[in-house]
Amino acid sequence: MAIIGVGITPFKARYMNRTYFELAYDATKLALNDANENGASISHKDLETTVYGIYNELFERQFMPDIFINSYIGMNNKPGTRIASGGATGGYTVRMAYSEVASGLSDLCLCLGVEKCNDCYDEKTGTTTPEVLNAIAYSADMTYEYPMGMMAASSYVSMVNAHSEEFGNPTEKQMAMVSVKNHGNAMKNPKAQSPMEISVDDVLYSRIICYPFKMLDCCLYSEASAALILASEEKVKELGIEQPIWITGVGAANTDCFIGNREDLGRLYSNINAAKSAYKMAGLDYDNIKEQIDVAELHDAFSGQEVISYEELGFVKFGEGGPWIEQGYKNSGEGPWFEGELPCNPSGGLIGCGHAVGATGIMSTGEAALQLRENAGEHQVPIEKGRAISHSIGGPGAAYAAVIVMENEEGISNK
Amino acid sequence: MSEKDFQAHEIRDQIHIDYKYTLGGQSKFFIDLKNDKKLQGTRCKKCGKVWMPPRIACSECFEDTEWIELPHTGEIMVSTIVWYTTSDFIQKVPYAVAFIKLDNADTGMLQGVFSENLVPSKIRKGQKVKAVFKKEGERKGKMTDFFFVPENEYENWISKPEYEGGE
Ligand SMILES: [Zn+2]
Repeated sequence: MAIIGVGITPFKARYMNRTYFELAYDATKLALNDANENGASISHKDLETTVYGIYNELFERQFMPDIFINSYIGMNNKPGTRIASGGATGGYTVRMAYSEVASGLSDLCLCLGVEKCNDCYDEKTGTTTPEVLNAIAYSADMTYEYPMGMMAASSYVSMVNAHSEEFGNPTEKQMAMVSVKNHGNAMKNPKAQSPMEISVDDVLYSRIICYPFKMLDCCLYSEASAALILASEEKVKELGIEQPIWITGVGAANTDCFIGNREDLGRLYSNINAAKSAYKMAGLDYDNIKEQIDVAELHDAFSGQEVISYEELGFVKFGEGGPWIEQGYKNSGEGPWFEGELPCNPSGGLIGCGHAVGATGIMSTGEAALQLRENAGEHQVPIEKGRAISHSIGGPGAAYAAVIVMENEEGISNK
Repeated sequence: MSEKDFQAHEIRDQIHIDYKYTLGGQSKFFIDLKNDKKLQGTRCKKCGKVWMPPRIACSECFEDTEWIELPHTGEIMVSTIVWYTTSDFIQKVPYAVAFIKLDNADTGMLQGVFSENLVPSKIRKGQKVKAVFKKEGERKGKMTDFFFVPENEYENWISKPEYEGGE
């Protein structure tokens, strides 16, 4: 099946003029417009089913937020289901939408993610962020972990610190390079929340969050919505889609949410397994994946985790992630940089674009699809092989992972 | 609709739910922590794996476990020091959290590490730590009844009026 339409709203700190269901409507309309520019002639009435990606009821101040979106986007009396898998909600939502179409249950499926976090408000500090973080911290085990002051950053930093203890990297400088890269890439993406031209020192001397993560190593929470329209092969033909982006691999896995139960603290077997199964399904080779794809949109909620993901997703060997980003910093044409051998997060990723949790993985997948259509705009990278991946992780201890492989017509015929 | 002259309306609100929840099969851990300052893990009757936090069933074998009292000493598996955090904890920064493997346990538990030297080089992998408890009457049968300190700071911490040693 193929992605035939992509709709992404700008990622912003705050939409004062939109509720979550109004934002969801915006992305749906954008995706329908895009599908129609891509050869289709459809309206919302043609969509047969919806899979909703919404992480956090506390952000939306509403349990079962999907049913209120269902009403607002005119999907009454059709099936709709919600996925909630932490930061991996977007990737998992794409996976479920894939299943809807692959199973034959639906020929035209809307995959819709939205999040609106900054309605949370901490009265004591007069700012939103501590209360947003609190709403997220309830994702930790409420008996054993929440009372210790565990939060998203301290959970991710545990993996990064364990990796550094084992391999001597990523160093703080190498992590800072990820931040420089992704904030810099976001300069070319008009939908990004945090475009910035910054130096390694700017990152190193930004405010400490939890050792060794600094402010600029961390993504910002965003409000946004993202939507994809997925169509079966038959439907793609029937609608006359000009540039279908075929989903050829879907992989997911959940590692132990209790970090203390894991055998290797410095890696996520969920990422490794999700990547291996997605690549295998697409007929690609984990050990040579870097040579088989043009671009990757990764889940860089924190800079250090992007470095470890290079290894877990098979781009480089274990322990070589830190040196890989550094190579590209020194020599243009190498590493995961915009001009590098495998551009990672040309959109800016989460650090550059922002993180609108339920929408994020759908944005990443949509961005990868637009890259394969050579329609990404100013942040377009060269497409030669015709293949891209998107990657989502999240949840307590970043336990959830999903990887999606996409190919354009050339990617399919190149095999 | 025109975005010109747009004016947003905001409402202050909270979501608040009270609980009195049961710890189910793990209740013994919290009761013994509160009453006797014991750290009770569980051991799988089949494979012998020692779980901490305890599980009444082994997730690997699908067999019952039995209670086993664990020592109050252990080692940091991985740690961090937190300088910016959630609204519930922001008044407490900086604080250290670590995954700690108690001696004889096979899994690690998350706990706070208190120290007079709250620096990364002291609160790191391999650091030996020992449990310190709140005084009787102050313990509520919750994870916050205890915390860990570097082994060489133990005597210092248990001499404070609000805390005591366990063994
Ligand atoms: Zn067992």
